[in-house]
Amino acid sequence: MLRRHLLKATAATALVLGAGLPAAAQDMPAPFDNPGDVTIALVRYLSTGDFFQSYLSGVEQQAEALGVDLRVLDSRQDAALQADMVDQAIALGVDGIIIQHGLTESMQAAAQRAVDAGIKVVAFDVDVENDAIPQVEQSDYLLAKLALDQAIEDHGTEFTAGYVYVPGIAPLDRRDAAWQEVKEANPGITEAAQFGTLDNPIANSVANQARSVLQANPNITVMFAPYDEFAKGVKIAVDEAGLSQDIDIYSADVSTADIAAMREPDSAWVATVATNPSVVGEVSVRTLAMMLAGEDPGDSVIVPPTLITQDFLNENDVSNMEELGAKMPQFQHADVSTPDWIPLPQR
Amino acid sequence: MGNDRLLNFAIKYGFLILLAGMVVYFGLAAPGFASPRSAVFVLQSVAITGILALGVTCTLVVGGFDLSIGAVATSALMLSAYAMVVLEMSAGVAIGLCLLMGAAVGLVNGLLIVKFRVPDLLATLGMMFLLIGLQRIPTQGNSIATGMALPDGSTAEGVFSSTFLWLGRHRLDLVIDNLVPLPVVIFLLIALGIWLFLGFTRQGRLMYAIGSNERAAGLVGTPVNRYKIAAYMISGVMASIGGMLLAARLGRGDIASGTNLLLDSVAAALIGFAVLGAARPNAFGTATGALFVGILLQGLTMMNAPYYTQDFVKGVVLVAALVFTFYLSSRRGTGRS
Repeated sequence: MLRRHLLKATAATALVLGAGLPAAAQDMPAPFDNPGDVTIALVRYLSTGDFFQSYLSGVEQQAEALGVDLRVLDSRQDAALQADMVDQAIALGVDGIIIQHGLTESMQAAAQRAVDAGIKVVAFDVDVENDAIPQVEQSDYLLAKLALDQAIEDHGTEFTAGYVYVPGIAPLDRRDAAWQEVKEANPGITEAAQFGTLDNPIANSVANQARSVLQANPNITVMFAPYDEFAKGVKIAVDEAGLSQDIDIYSADVSTADIAAMREPDSAWVATVATNPSVVGEVSVRTLAMMLAGEDPGDSVIVPPTLITQDFLNENDVSNMEELGAKMPQFQHADVSTPDWIPLPQR
Repeated sequence: MGNDRLLNFAIKYGFLILLAGMVVYFGLAAPGFASPRSAVFVLQSVAITGILALGVTCTLVVGGFDLSIGAVATSALMLSAYAMVVLEMSAGVAIGLCLLMGAAVGLVNGLLIVKFRVPDLLATLGMMFLLIGLQRIPTQGNSIATGMALPDGSTAEGVFSSTFLWLGRHRLDLVIDNLVPLPVVIFLLIALGIWLFLGFTRQGRLMYAIGSNERAAGLVGTPVNRYKIAAYMISGVMASIGGMLLAARLGRGDIASGTNLLLDSVAAALIGFAVLGAARPNAFGTATGALFVGILLQGLTMMNAPYYTQDFVKGVVLVAALVFTFYLSSRRGTGRS
């Protein structure tokens, strides 16, 4: 393991020292002919949790590959502070800003101020209602749709399902749209129960609820839990009820711990659909770089999700996110916002 | 006279009657509610908050309050995961470390309060924030699971030891095979232990004395400060036990602030004031209070009530219990004099 890392590191260093950087810097359009002078800021609303950590590492890696200076401003779920931080970034004189999550109401005016100051802005997963600002999104709708397609492939169009959902959370609402559509299109699918909570620890609270639901509805064969914390909770409940042979869990999102849970012997968690958050981070930076170089990335940049099944994980003996990326290239890299001149992060 | 008796009866048994009524109602309304498995489910869902609540009860008894329990629990969750998955220690060492951590946090809380004269709410509030931050520093905010990438570029190879998982997942046979989960047994044992300690030992009674009149207790020679520190240490240890059981159930070190653990366990302890008309913190009441909330939530979930009704219902129960305690008990007091 260690040796492989060393090799990788050596290879990366050789590339950087050798042909890598200087050649790339010459080939890159202004202002990236002198990338050290380019400063970009990442203004975050959400930062706690595996997804956001991984997103940040993607942003950092792509910024490093470009050779630009990255500033990270983290408002920790304080909407007003996040708007102030955009003003701070403007005052710092950055060239570009990535707004990561946030509320439309608080960010719209701040984003407009940045655009007025001549700064290029990209928004990830927040609609700032501005034509000059492209949106980077992971498609939550597709995420849920792919998982449900897999459920229908495994169980046909007639089954009884339990559904985990908390309304009012934007990504969950978009995932819900896919579920409503699938239910509409397949009258044979019945929703026996809907439950869910965001009380933390989420997995523990959902497990308590899921157990009651399983007790009240013994005919459930499919659990649709389109958020990995939900799926973890449902899996705990299914295991505790001794039903792991009888119920299949379909979910969204993935992490190293999720992979371990899916690969436990007799695990009920059979499939999940995910966009690699670190790839989304890379795409955010590349989209911003294109704008800084005067190119048009389009109004909406969508990073496509990937279906990950338990069978695939077992067949390829995948045990963490890194190996998943290696075995599943479409998960490691998204061919989105990739003009030839942008160097991709080393892997 | 008749009125007075009725009032006394209501204060003393009202809450338990309500509890019984609720069980009967859910038993009729929700299919599958009235079964041994369902009863065990309720117990399991309250075991962890119940253990935390028993810890808070001890600090309430000496007239204090511990806001840091939720954070101590999640710190124990992270610490046990870190010890086993990253440092590859055995279950025994991990458990020892967590208990030690809980006791140490309690000691610091106690010292802040008695030596540095920081008001209890503020001292434990500060400790809460400190721990929420501290537990994330070793992993840079990531959850802990086998195979995770470490800051130095290698991956974590350790696993949760099966002995440790057994603590949270093992089920004992009782009438039906594999019925009672171990956390429930631990919860009941701790409840019994704290009940005996507070109600029937000299030390426990002195703690109540400190809670009702600290000066008087001190004047008759009670080492007030030591008892107060001890109460916070008990609270810290209870919280770390709760955190370890949580880790054993989840099987990974999930980052979480533990705010809901705090609120739920404080609610259970406060509801406990009303049980049997005690009007003061007590272990039996706390356990009953936790059970009350657990039964209510289980029943509501089985009847497909949406999630936001649950917080509402918890609030209603708490307010009702506090009215029981403070209003009715004071009327009983004036009635007597």
